[in-house]
Amino acid sequence: MPENCEATVTLTGDLHARPAGALSVAAAQFASAVQLAVAGGQADAKSVLAVMQLGASSGQQVTVRATGPDARTAVDTLIGILSTATAAGAELGD
Amino acid sequence: MAARVGIVLVSHSAALAEGTAELAGQVGGGAVIIATAGGTDDGRLGTSIEKVAAAIRRADAGAGVVILPDLGSSVLTVRTLLADDPDDLPGPLEVADAPFVEGAVAAAVTAAAGGSIKAVLDAAQEARHARKL
Repeated sequence: MPENCEATVTLTGDLHARPAGALSVAAAQFASAVQLAVAGGQADAKSVLAVMQLGASSGQQVTVRATGPDARTAVDTLIGILSTATAAGAELGD
Repeated sequence: MAARVGIVLVSHSAALAEGTAELAGQVGGGAVIIATAGGTDDGRLGTSIEKVAAAIRRADAGAGVVILPDLGSSVLTVRTLLADDPDDLPGPLEVADAPFVEGAVAAAVTAAAGGSIKAVLDAAQEARHARKL
């Protein structure tokens, strides 16, 4: 059964190219459709260019929404990456 | 783990090809082979059929290779190679009609995620519609 799932996280670093890549690589592993939403925009999480174009920055809230058979795992995984990879990306200074 | 689709970047400039490969490789998390064919055989700006053929062989891991040319005669060089001598090269091979940097980044991410050669080609070509602003 398809399910819907969503969760929101506050970024601790900017969503730069490298964390955007990590996010999209992870999102592509799921059968569910996965969207990211920030104030003023949304993007297909599986499209790295769309994710980068969001320009999500530190302190912004990002909502992950998934629809499909593995929606819950997809949301949990991407929230995890948003919570850690953006902080790592900030340290790496890209 | 299944073989990843390889990526070949063909540019008039070796530095441009290598820099783009470095960037796309980092965004893709380092899980994909991105081979470059930049400049002429004697190190000038231009393209080399031999370099493209060698890069295709380096990039091939058994799942096919997507080739991204930068401009003009890069496309001609790739087309000439594929028309002349496809039996000598691993396959399948696809040429992406895509912006060089954005296409390389999108292709690297899709290849890193284990996408098929069609998925990697589509990701590169959809980069034409990506907005920066």
